[in-house]
Order: sequence, then C-alpha cells, then structure tokens
Amino acid sequence: MAVSMPRQDGMVDDGECWRCSARVGVSPACGTCEAPQALPSGADHFTTLGLTRSLVVDLADLERRYHEASRLVHPDRHQIGEPTAARISIETSAAVNRAYRTLRDPLARGRYWLELHGQSLAENNNRVPPTLAALVFDVQEQLEDLRGRSENADLRRQVEAARTAVAADFEGRLGELGECYDRWQSDATPPVLAELKERLSEIAYLRTLLADVDEGLER
Amino acid sequence: MAGVVGIDLGTTNSLVAVLDGNTPRILPDPDTGERLLPSAVTFLPTGEVLVGRRARAMATERPLDTILSVKRFMGLGFEHVSDADRRRYRFASATEGPVRFDMHGRAVTPPEVSAHVLRELKRWAEAALGEDVTKAVLTVPAYFNDTQRQATRDAGRLAGLEVLRLVNEPTAAALAYGLDQDDDTTIAVYDLGGGTFDVSILKLRRGVFEVLATGGDTRLGGDDLDVVLAERLLDEIPESWREHVQIRAQILAMAEQVKCALSDRERTKVEVALPEGGVVDVTVTRADFDVLAGPIVERTSAPCRQALKDAGLQIGDVAVVVAVGGATRVPLVRTHVERLFGRPPLTELNPDEVVALGAGIQAGILTGKKGDMLLLDVVPLSLGIETMGDVFSRVIDRNSTIPVGVKENFTNPVDDQRGIEIHVLQGERELASDNRSLAHFTIPIDPTPAGVARLEVMFLVDANGILSVTARDLRSGRERTVEVKPSYGLSDTELERMLEESIDHAEEDVRQRQIREARVDCEAIVNASRKQLRAHAELLGEDEAARIGAAMDAVQAAAAGEDYVRMRDAYDALADVSEPFARRIMDRALTESVEGRSLDDL
Repeated sequence: MAVSMPRQDGMVDDGECWRCSARVGVSPACGTCEAPQALPSGADHFTTLGLTRSLVVDLADLERRYHEASRLVHPDRHQIGEPTAARISIETSAAVNRAYRTLRDPLARGRYWLELHGQSLAENNNRVPPTLAALVFDVQEQLEDLRGRSENADLRRQVEAARTAVAADFEGRLGELGECYDRWQSDATPPVLAELKERLSEIAYLRTLLADVDEGLER
Repeated sequence: MAGVVGIDLGTTNSLVAVLDGNTPRILPDPDTGERLLPSAVTFLPTGEVLVGRRARAMATERPLDTILSVKRFMGLGFEHVSDADRRRYRFASATEGPVRFDMHGRAVTPPEVSAHVLRELKRWAEAALGEDVTKAVLTVPAYFNDTQRQATRDAGRLAGLEVLRLVNEPTAAALAYGLDQDDDTTIAVYDLGGGTFDVSILKLRRGVFEVLATGGDTRLGGDDLDVVLAERLLDEIPESWREHVQIRAQILAMAEQVKCALSDRERTKVEVALPEGGVVDVTVTRADFDVLAGPIVERTSAPCRQALKDAGLQIGDVAVVVAVGGATRVPLVRTHVERLFGRPPLTELNPDEVVALGAGIQAGILTGKKGDMLLLDVVPLSLGIETMGDVFSRVIDRNSTIPVGVKENFTNPVDDQRGIEIHVLQGERELASDNRSLAHFTIPIDPTPAGVARLEVMFLVDANGILSVTARDLRSGRERTVEVKPSYGLSDTELERMLEESIDHAEEDVRQRQIREARVDCEAIVNASRKQLRAHAELLGEDEAARIGAAMDAVQAAAAGEDYVRMRDAYDALADVSEPFARRIMDRALTESVEGRSLDDL
C-alpha cells in the first residue's frame, strides 16, 4: 500500500534540439528539423501550444494549434524511423494532449491559470457556494426522494425539470465566467479575481450536481 | 517501407489488408481465394494444429480440441470464464495468471491460439505481396482493457509479427469510411461483432480523426443472437433430445443460418434431423426473431447514450453513422442504430471487411504513405490504483486522448520498507475490488523512516492503449526499476520462453503445416469416397469401383509419407477419377427430389 503525496514540479529550462542542435526553447517540436522534443517537466500548457498565458482562449485557434502539434509529435509519425524520436514522441504527445484538454475547458483552464499564479480554489468542493445554497438544497432533496422510493413518474418529472434548471444555471454562469475572463484582460484587480474564483467554484459545484442528477435519473 | 499489413483479428473471422496506392485492399488465401479466415484452431492429439476452415469443420467432431472464438478469452483469468464455457472447453487447472486450455496435456494460452490464426494470415499476405511480412497493425475492440490489449500484442509477437500499433476496431472502420467523407464532420460507429460490441464517436477535421468518446461491452455480440434462436429451435424438438451434444451443435449452426436468411426474407424453414430418424420442421418468421433479439439489441443502447454524453454531444450533432460487424446485417439491428442516432447507417463497405480495410489504412499512416491523415484515439476505461480501504483512486480518466501520462508522488508509510507496491486496476467502479486488476508494480526503495522516501511515479498509456509505469527517486534523482507482476497476462519470462520455442520451430512449422493440411484433406476425400462406394454401388460402371479403389490406395499411400506435393497430386487424381460417379449420384438425388414433389402434389 502506498500513500499519495502532492506533486512537486521541476524547473523549466530551454534546450537544444537533440537532432539538429538548433535552439528549441520550450516547444513540442524543433522549429528547424521538426523532430519531437522532450518538454521540460513543469512546462506550462500555454507555452506547450505556443500561447501566452491568458484566461481568454480562441477555441478554433486552440484546436488548430493542437492538430498542428499532434501532426508533428504523435507517435504514429515516429513509429518507424529514429528510435529516439519514437521514444520522445510518446511523452511529448501526452503533454500536448493534456495541454489541449486543460485549456479547451473553461473550468479546467481557470483552475490551471490560478495554479500558475500561485492561487487556488478552495479544494473542498463539499462546501456549497452561498449563491447556490437554495438551489442545491432543493435538488438534493428531490434526488433523495427519487432514490428512496420505487419508480414514481411525478417525482421523475420534477427531477428532470430540476435538471433543466440546473443546466441552464450552469450555462449562464459559464457565460459570466467568460465575461470575467474578458474583464480580467483590462482590469486585473482583486475584486475581479474574487468574482472569477466565485464563478469557478459555482461552476465546479454545478458540474458535480449535474452528474449526481444524471446518475439519479439513470437508476 | 514494404510489408506492413493491417490485420482484423476477429472473434469469428480474421482478415488481412494492405494499403495499395491510396486505397486499402484485402489479401486473400493464395490457395482458395477466400478473404475471410475463420478464427478457429484445432489441436489434434498427434500435436498437429489445424487453422481456419479445416479447424471450423472439426468443431462438431472434436469440440473439445477446437477453439472457435479464442478472442473471448484474451486477457482473462480462469475465474472470469463462464460455466457455459467450462462445459464447452477443457481448461488446464491453474489458479493464477491467464486462462489456459488443456490440449492433450499441454496448457495453451489464448495468445498462443491466436498466434496460429495470425501465422496463417501472415502466410496469405506473404503469398500475395511476394515478400516477407514482419510488421503489422492489429485491431482490438475499443472496449478491450489493458490486459486484453497486451494479450493481443503477445499473440502478434508469437506469430513473428512486430505489432506497430493496436488500433481500435470502430476507429479503423471510421478511417475506412472517412476516406470519402467531408473534412468537417462528426461520425458515430456502431460495431456489433461476433462476440463484442463497441461504439465510438469521432470528429473528423483537417484529416485528423479525433475520438471523442468510446463505450461498449466485451461480452455482447452477434453470437448471442444465434444462441437465443437456437433455444427457440430446441423448444420445437422432443425434450429427450434437447441436451444431446451433437443435436445442440447442429442446431446452433442452423440458428446462424436462420439469422442470415431472415436478413433477406420474412420467414424461413429449417429441418432438424433427429438421430433416431424423423425430421422436425420449424418455421421462423422475422417477427419471431425480432421478439427474441430485442432484449439483446437493446443492451447496446446504454453504451451508445453514454458515449454521446461523454462526447458532450446530442443525437442531432452526429452527421454520419457507420454500421460495422456481420450482425449489423440484421434488419432489427439497423433499425435500432437508426433510432439511436437519428439517421440510417452507411453500409457501402462490406461490414465484415471494413475494420481490416481501416487497419490497412493505419498501416499506411504509420509508414508515411498517408501523411494527410492522423488518428487521435482514447483510453476506453479509467485507470487507477488501490488505496487504503479498497478505494479505487482514479489516476487516468476514461476517454482521455492517448498517449496520456500522469505523475503521482508516493512515500513510504512504514519505517525501513524495502519497496513500495502499487496495485493498478481498470474500470469505473468505486471499490477497487469491483474493477479489473491489471498488475502489481513493485518499486524498490532504500530503507528510511516512514514518510521520508520520495518517489515520482509516471503512469503512461501509450498510443496502443497499453499502460507502462516508470519511477524516479526524487531525493537522488535516479530512475528506479519497476517489477511488474501481471494479474492475468503473460509474464516477460513466459513470453520469452514461448518466443524461443516458436522461433526454433518456425521453419519446421511451415513445412509441417503443409504436410498436415494435405494429410487432413486426403483423409477426408478417402472417407467420403468409401462412403459413396458403399451407399451407391448400383451406380458404378464397369471397372469403375476398381479404378476408384486404386486411386484411393494411392492417396492413402501418399498420406502415410511426408511429401505433401505427392499427397496433393494423389488427391487430384482421385477427385478426377471419381468425378463421373459423383455426378451420377447428384443427378439421381435431383430426380428423386423432383419425383417426390410431384407425388405430394397428386
């Protein structure tokens, strides 16, 4: 049995291409010879995909960058050929995949961005954000009823209606989060940061609640 | 770069394909031109091994020695084998590691059985391409777990093939269909094979096939439709015969024919011949079949809905639906697919061949012949470790794009521990013991007080969907070796031993196979001739019995030797000399059946 510990990231440093010795910096592939490069541990997701650190991300552009990077570093491109390239491509491709997954999701992106700036959301997701307390209480109660009883069409309809309401709330707050991200670009002040954290907490909470409701409805 | 093929290692049939210019093509059996190789292997008491059509034909005569769908056993332990399978096959008694078949005192693992099928396909490919084939892309059900994938790769290695990539079957099908699609679309693939069900949702953009989500059931397939039909047929015969082994085998084979017949027709009739004489006629309508098949087909719904949800899509977002696997020829299945995804499935490509064609394309991608295409696939099941109190602690989420790597830090909970043990499992359940155990990894550490050791462990799932674990001591910065004890897979030493054995025997194997195949054919034709001589003696011309008898003797003499060319020649000679006799038997059978009918009409 092992005990899990919080992770410690290493240092970022620039390097040379292992194949052509050109200066690479932090990039999944060499700009000169296109060989896949080992990313320094702790290389940030924005840099990995050639972006500057920003809460606002153009999703179409992000996908284009992801596909371009994947074409260069995916193991399918290096399965036959230099063994070094094949070996490096696996971990670098994994890093590119992880960067894309994190940045395309506004919640994951926000959390990651906070982490990069030495901030974090309260990790305890069980604490209900005050703005959601009433809604969460109602929905949890309905879910309890649904779980506790045999199939009841009225109750099911109620929970389904609640799901629609929670989903709409979720979308609404996601929109507000986007506005927050935009505002931060020109107004990087503590009140905006506080609002941003609040939206992120709410969204994280609502996502868990939606999953609970779906699970309840699937029974 | 020549000689990289794509292989669909199926539950019922297997195929091999290659990318030819810009399009994939199936490579047939050089002797018969057949494109499908039945995934059947027979182990004879003499040590001879039959593969394909010959093995499948042995299934009723030697059921215990003939493995018909080894794929269902890949990567399983003995405790995962069902009671029905325990009755059907003879297993070697083993308490741990992979399940093993007992073949005349020799314990044979599923990868070894699959390797026989792969060797035969390798031979087909080498004959068609005129060169050695040593590298291949193999397909696996998308929902295969780590152990099942490793078992498939082991089978490839045992057959002398370097497995360049394992590609998921529905993804391969999407590649084959994607060649003709618009470059910005969403594809759903519904793959109901002989023994497995997969569903995958993909996005195609700029030549990149990105799998968004996948789901399935590795214990659900077209075979289940045969089973319910067989039960229906068994209900029609006298109860005393229902448990009879031969009858059951006969009826299961008939059920498959009924299933196929009802794909084109509204009703079909079968005649079950009883051993004591007498025939039972059974008529099955498509409506009957739909009622029986309904619950099985319905089991594919939940994985489809879950995959859509995991992909974050609605039914209306799916622009292209692809149906793969022989079972999707069943009209009820097609209707079901249409209802699930809101549009009829594409069926231009042969559903038996589409996965192999996709594997051929992937072989082309890997060799740089298809530089415009790229495949981004996902891991089908979450991976995690067992933590205190039987808790499954998730490390990698299902539907993560592969390769995917996650680093976790560990320390020693006890003073002066010699090693840290990590139990890795795969599945979606909360309790570790409810998920499938993959392996125990042991990482040696220097003795220190509790909590002082600092290990960074990297869990990496590669582009084949296979996990590897590496570890680094953060205090010394040194890499640490990781000892792996697979739960149901072959250990490295066991695989090496099998490889050595197979390399020692590779050349001998080819010659031996040709000899034994010719010998089996010789025995079959002699037996058939003897029966006909007895049954239809009145149809023999003057001297004919003597001439056929002489040819039979020649075949038997050849079969007793080791010269397979001589056996083939003798076989052909016997076939030639008895041809007029065989034609007369056929003519008479036809006349009788016509007369029989006119009598009825009167």
